[in-house]
Amino acid sequence: MRIPFLSMFVTSPFEGVQEHAEKVKACAWVFQRAMECIIQDRCEDFEHFREDIDKLETEADAIKRRIRGHLPKGTLLPVDKFQLFRYLREQDKVIDAVEEGLDWLSFRSAAGIPEVLEKDFMLLVEAVTDPIEELSKMVTEARKYFSNFSEPQRRVVKDMIRTLRQHEHEADKLEDSIKAKIFNSIEDPVAVFHLIRMAEIIGSIADHAENAGDMMRAMVAK
Amino acid sequence: MNHEFYVLITGYIFGFYMAWNIGANDVANSMASAVGAKAITIRQAVFIAGILNIIGATVIGSHVTNTIRKGIVSTEVLTDPHLALIGALSALLAAALWVSFATWKSLPVSTTHSIVGAMIGFGIMAGGFSVINWGKLLAVVLSWVISPVFALILGFVMFKVIAKLILTKRDSFIWSLKLSPFFIGIALFVIILSFLFKTPLGKKLAVGTPMAILIAFILSIILGLLGMKALSWHLKKKAASGEEDIFRRIQIGTSCYVALAQGANDVANAIGPLAVIYFLVKTGEIGTKVPVPIFLLVFGGIGIACGIAMAGHRVMDTIGKKITTLTNTRGFSVDFAAATTVMVASKMGLPVSTTHAAVGGVLGVGLARGIEAVNFRIIFKIILYWVLTVPAAAITSIIIFKLLQFFI
Repeated sequence: MRIPFLSMFVTSPFEGVQEHAEKVKACAWVFQRAMECIIQDRCEDFEHFREDIDKLETEADAIKRRIRGHLPKGTLLPVDKFQLFRYLREQDKVIDAVEEGLDWLSFRSAAGIPEVLEKDFMLLVEAVTDPIEELSKMVTEARKYFSNFSEPQRRVVKDMIRTLRQHEHEADKLEDSIKAKIFNSIEDPVAVFHLIRMAEIIGSIADHAENAGDMMRAMVAK
Repeated sequence: MNHEFYVLITGYIFGFYMAWNIGANDVANSMASAVGAKAITIRQAVFIAGILNIIGATVIGSHVTNTIRKGIVSTEVLTDPHLALIGALSALLAAALWVSFATWKSLPVSTTHSIVGAMIGFGIMAGGFSVINWGKLLAVVLSWVISPVFALILGFVMFKVIAKLILTKRDSFIWSLKLSPFFIGIALFVIILSFLFKTPLGKKLAVGTPMAILIAFILSIILGLLGMKALSWHLKKKAASGEEDIFRRIQIGTSCYVALAQGANDVANAIGPLAVIYFLVKTGEIGTKVPVPIFLLVFGGIGIACGIAMAGHRVMDTIGKKITTLTNTRGFSVDFAAATTVMVASKMGLPVSTTHAAVGGVLGVGLARGIEAVNFRIIFKIILYWVLTVPAAAITSIIIFKLLQFFI
């Protein structure tokens, strides 16, 4: 406190947001591997992947808490503080959804995913991992915008948000077609319930990524 | 005479101690943005601050010294040489002790406010409350509020200008090079004007106000263009790119500017009371108008430089590590705002704090959304210590005055 100059500078929350986005990206990768594994008939590493996601989720949670806990009242940011928190919450929900997806899958892991649906599920997984990998890139570009306020840079961020929205739309369409296929090809009601819920959870990953994009859109609004 | 000789020696020691404290305390604030933005290394900062504080103190610093000495406390108290001697001595010691205490307890106080408080304490002891020129005091207190606000506005405007003209442009490097004469020139303009007005050197030249402005204007244009040439030559060799690289180099210049302004402003805090002691001992009395001898200013400047050299390193090391969100364009805006505020205030004879000007500059850039995270609330804490410093230093001064009366 002796140096007033120094005490004015607070650790930038954007650094934390970026770190958090990296965790999300790491999750996407593990999630994809886990899904590939479950689709191959003998998956021994599935529990291992679940543990990985669990660990990533805990770490991301710690980052989230650190950001919220280290922003004193009266801190001046280039964006509204609560916008930032809302963004962070959506970004965090992406990881939560991934974790939930793997958990749900594990409840009936012996049955796995029926062969007729394997391809569709893989497509859906790919469709949702693309947008969540984009998130960390979007945070980087947004930080650049907050440092130079240039219109071309703002456009870069806006374009990324648009891409997120398109990804979500595609994932939605895939989710719908999977659901229809499940009802038409699976007889066992328990399996139907498990698979429908599975498709919904995976679809929600893209929803949260899109929501995060919308929050970012509000932050870069002029 | 012999007895007074010892008093003078003591005065020198206390004055040096105060100057040392100023150097150790305030250098962090003047060099912080340059070190934080990685424009200069810690070693360079210590070197620049040391040398330029001495130059600023010697060449620009004489005017403020008068105001602190005879502005707030009426010269009535100086009619009794014995009392005045004890008073000046206790004021000097009280301010230095209070600043040392604050350093030990990690309180953000201003050396300027400490000496003003101590002088008030001395005035009250020597002549009662009536000798305090409350109007003048109010003006000084107001300047403490106005100076950070002024720096805040300057910092805000400067950053907005940079953002608008350079950062938002697609080819911001070219633009920053093109506009560099403007940014270099505007800083030089204020420095040259300060030199021309009211410094011993400027008085010798004896130029009128319009003439001085014209000279400063032309010189800053020429030097600004030369600066651009030097920049483009230098950068061509290094093949660096980006507007921050250009501002990094300009910021080396502005950190010199801050150090110069700081020397000009802060030397009075240590030398004001010392000058009173010096004249009392030499002439036996003190008039209403006494010029401060150059060698006292040099003495003060060296004291500040010593403080910087001994304590600056550690403080700036912390700053360099902790401030990571400050870039060169932001640092330039802060530097420019702080130095211009201090320079203008010291030309107006107002004792303002470099610390508060720097704080104002950062808040201005923060308000312009230039920094990823700035704690605005800290300003209230700082204000609390502004308010506390004056009475605390005054009371310390009163106690020391009472003690000294027994011995001298």
